[in-house]
Amino acid sequence: MSERERPLPEIQSFSRPFWDGTRAHKLLIQHCCDCDALIFYPRRECPECWSANLDWKESSGKATLYSYSITYEGVEEKFADDLPIILAWVDLPEGIRMTTNIIDCGPGDVYIGMELEVAFRPLTDEVTLPFFRPVKS
Amino acid sequence: MNKRGIAIIGVSEVPTRRMPERTRWDILLDVCIGAVRDAGIDKDDINAVISPNPMAQPQIALEMALGRIPEVLGLNGCRDICVTNAGGTSTTNCIRIAEQLIDSGQADFVLIPHTTVQSDIPVQDLINFFATAPLDKEWEYPWGVSFNGSMGLITQRYMYETGSTAEDMAAVTVGLRAWAALDPNSIFYEKPVTLEDVLNSRMISTPLHARECNLLADGGGALVLTSHDIAGELGGKAAYKLGHGTRFMSATPVLRKDVFHRRAYRETSSDALEQAGLSIEDMDLRQVYGAYPYTQCSALEAYGVCAIGEGAKLWAEGRCAPGGDLPCTTMGDATGRGHVGSGVSMAFYIDTARQLFGEAGERQVPDCAHAVLTTSGGSVMNACTTVFGKEPQ
Repeated sequence: MSERERPLPEIQSFSRPFWDGTRAHKLLIQHCCDCDALIFYPRRECPECWSANLDWKESSGKATLYSYSITYEGVEEKFADDLPIILAWVDLPEGIRMTTNIIDCGPGDVYIGMELEVAFRPLTDEVTLPFFRPVKS
Repeated sequence: MNKRGIAIIGVSEVPTRRMPERTRWDILLDVCIGAVRDAGIDKDDINAVISPNPMAQPQIALEMALGRIPEVLGLNGCRDICVTNAGGTSTTNCIRIAEQLIDSGQADFVLIPHTTVQSDIPVQDLINFFATAPLDKEWEYPWGVSFNGSMGLITQRYMYETGSTAEDMAAVTVGLRAWAALDPNSIFYEKPVTLEDVLNSRMISTPLHARECNLLADGGGALVLTSHDIAGELGGKAAYKLGHGTRFMSATPVLRKDVFHRRAYRETSSDALEQAGLSIEDMDLRQVYGAYPYTQCSALEAYGVCAIGEGAKLWAEGRCAPGGDLPCTTMGDATGRGHVGSGVSMAFYIDTARQLFGEAGERQVPDCAHAVLTTSGGSVMNACTTVFGKEPQ
């Protein structure tokens, strides 16, 4: 993929540790130290109890495919080189559902329920995006 | 003490087309004048102009927000002006504000106009806007998510859980386009499609084919609302608002536990029907603004029209299409009408009023006395369900 042309996430001060984590090949989930909620996407305050006493827990990096959509057109030109893109919603065992892409997988080989693992791909020196790929059996 | 409640007593719309030579103001003036005349009142009877925000059109949005409509049209009785923005549910908000003004005695008649021209916006700009407007710029957009992609993700899961086939889902579009083909205001007037047309159209974002996605277009419409009492005194046609319910789900689709919106559809329709003192079986018409075919299925399931997972089957059996025993979405949704931004919900309210007025032409549902209508905004962030009737309860 032509990573460099893809748009970068608009990183915020309180989500910075997540992106520091991906750069170090760690998938971090925000955690509330007061009510113990796991939070995705990261917030400045816990959406359950409004505590600002938040830290991070490292995810196992495993996931199950909840749903997918193979996009052939209708996206910004910045993504044109990467089409088709396998959009995915993946369920982490920690109880988080996140949006990502499935990589290293043909459009015909993707199916709901497939087992996945995180794969980190740098877009720039600063930003590494978490993708997911099939677990090799 | 006045009996509370509002009714739609006048409607007007321009045909939905891609027609850049027809300006936003051409549309606004046509629909405002048309709706006031349709209501049979004088322009100076209008006490407020409450408008849905035109999406991605900042100049006209600002002109409307800053009071240009009553000034240009010489609405000398106008006391209040407002533009609301809740995406596809903006018109619903306008009606709720009108209800507050009318119920509280601050207005007798409220005008709700909408205009949108998208055909003069460069295609790539439109893609950029509609591909990114409802998306989180940090947690969705970097992975190439679009409106179609989000709805593709939900549709894929819907098919997986319900066992609905590509043919079942395509039947929804066939049904919607059959209604639209009978509607001179649709961009697809006299242009029905077959199952093969839908399934053979190019794939946009699986499982959604091009014909199952929305064509962006230009259009507009307007409503005139008044109180139940005044509508009764005027003695003309009226569509009475009998009940309403609303729920917010989430801005970002991936965070939505109620993935197919069934809980929101069920709770809002229950609220609206309970206030109206009616049941879903009393409804002669079901109207679902979801802009993507799965919503036409999950809403029917949640309303209690059919069992969970059976919605697409109803469409596949032709029961929701013209001639069917469960007519649904007789203006064709955005899929059949053409997507006029925040104005699709306006087209839904106009169509519902026309059905209750008995003025829906070839799409007329026989003896239509009650209708249930759900609108949604953003990437289906909410569900707003209203029950309308031909008579006040």
